[in-house]
Amino acid sequence: MIPKLAFYFALLSLVSVGGIPSVMPEMQRVAVEVEGWMSAAEFTQVFAVAQAAPGPNVLVTALVGWKVAGIAGGLVALAAFCVPAAALSYSVGGLWDRMRDAPWRKAIQRALVPITVGFVASGGYVLATPAGLDWRAAIAAASAAAIAATRINPLWFLASGGAAGYFLF
Amino acid sequence: MTREPCQDAPRPPSGLWELYLGFLAIGARSFGGVLPWAHRVLVEERRWIAPADFAEVLALCQFLPGPNVGNVSIVLGRRWFGPAGSAAAFLGLMALPLVWVFALALLYAGHAASPGVRAVVTGVGIAGGGLFIGTAWKLARPLAKKPWALALAAACLGALAFGRISLFFVLPVAALAGFAAARRDLL
Repeated sequence: MIPKLAFYFALLSLVSVGGIPSVMPEMQRVAVEVEGWMSAAEFTQVFAVAQAAPGPNVLVTALVGWKVAGIAGGLVALAAFCVPAAALSYSVGGLWDRMRDAPWRKAIQRALVPITVGFVASGGYVLATPAGLDWRAAIAAASAAAIAATRINPLWFLASGGAAGYFLF
Repeated sequence: MTREPCQDAPRPPSGLWELYLGFLAIGARSFGGVLPWAHRVLVEERRWIAPADFAEVLALCQFLPGPNVGNVSIVLGRRWFGPAGSAAAFLGLMALPLVWVFALALLYAGHAASPGVRAVVTGVGIAGGGLFIGTAWKLARPLAKKPWALALAAACLGALAFGRISLFFVLPVAALAGFAAARRDLL
């Protein structure tokens, strides 16, 4: 299972334009629908644990790997996801700066905004509806409105979501 | 530009250990999102980099694949100390959160049989999904008067969330369509 994890997360690394939120729909599709590593509810719970820890949200890859093949699986998934993208950042960092005024760079930047919007919204929808669209989507709607309208630390919205999950369950 | 030493000019870290500790501090404090803490530590507290410079680096790192702030650590580490700098900054950023997340996961695994615990954690995850939706909403605000951009975003959402089509198909198609539209000034 570990070579499969490494291969899959390395591939995912290269299409993770916009970061982890963009690849959540694909990660969930593969983990839940294609490979059957876990249920949709378990995937949302794993994501929740990663959100509750400090640090970059890329840690969710370590938890998906951990769920599949223990701590070793977690470290392999995290490394496989980080290394290809890091190598790319390392090599193109300078080039991108030199091409600041190139028309193709501006076209790519403009094209990526709506694509990222669609990807991130998809990630949110997939995570918020582990059992299809039900009453719990109200929790997601509330936290979406809160983050869009305020500058409060999002940890408070996660904590409120946990409380709502408990009392409304 | 002045040649005199300026007190307000940002000064890069003096060594690998200082760089590592700076990113360790970001990782240790970044509950609820790492980006605000990266800005606070790098720009405001340690003053390693000027605000405008940080914004440029961040824009690049949001465009590149991979974790955004992870990429920031790679790019800045490289700028200051080459490959060793990239490694020091990245490992500093990840070290403490990785311990945290595994500790939380083991704690949760020990209590996952309890329906109450599962309900709380599921609620947290659903709220986290909502944060993504809210973030997408914020990112979409500048697109409000660009119908082609909104159509592209909606097509991506439909394909991924409702069609459950693979990202490895959706990304190349969307990127080509977006690039063509951007070259015609539609986005």
